[in-house]
Amino acid sequence: MRIKAKIKGDVVQVKVMAKHDMLTYDQAKKKGTEANFITHISAKVNDKVVYDASTSQFLSKDPLFQFAFKASAAKPGDKLEVTWVDLKGNTETDSKEIK
Amino acid sequence: MERREFLGLSVAAFVALPALLSATDFRAAKPDAWTAKTVEDAIKALYGSVELIEKDVKVKAPKVASNGGAVPVTVQSSIPGKTVSIFQDANPESAVITFELNEYSIIDFGLKIKMKQSGTITAVVEGADGKLYVGKQTLEVALGGCEG
Repeated sequence: MRIKAKIKGDVVQVKVMAKHDMLTYDQAKKKGTEANFITHISAKVNDKVVYDASTSQFLSKDPLFQFAFKASAAKPGDKLEVTWVDLKGNTETDSKEIK
Repeated sequence: MERREFLGLSVAAFVALPALLSATDFRAAKPDAWTAKTVEDAIKALYGSVELIEKDVKVKAPKVASNGGAVPVTVQSSIPGKTVSIFQDANPESAVITFELNEYSIIDFGLKIKMKQSGTITAVVEGADGKLYVGKQTLEVALGGCEG
């Protein structure tokens, strides 16, 4: 996972790129395999949830998640922790210091 | 008696699960929304209503997307909201993503989505007032994204 998080004024701007094939049901059928895609992704700072999304097969391959949250939840040096789960139950967590 | 205990246990387990996740899994909570074939059906399955107010939700996407496999979309709004959802009518099913908001959230979400053909991206903000606000953007897709 690639994560960038930066405080700008009173908001924290975040870019996350997850590495995932995001195979739709149609694509999987053509390849003779099973569909698998990220179904939920969330981000936390200091145990506070700052991003939370239930997702579908229609996000791009290696999906990009760009968001912003109020800087009252974080200060520079805090760790932003991002976790995703996919349809098959695989999960990945990564974190990055907020600049 | 045994049956009663079993029922009691399963209710307890059901209630405990969302608390552990500390967030709503909308795929589990509203399964029909994710298999709905049209935007209207998906909105109805997710929110129980299709009474939409068309204002204050800005959806940005290129007028012509060269690659349907990764169409950049941003949704912005200053409406105090509970959730935000994005739908499209270019793929076999229409739901793309549902964000759950809290006191730290800002409605300024960017993502890249797949679109098999030209179509319309619809974003719905479920306001704190319980009303549904909507914004739309229609675009052309030069090369479809679901062919894989």
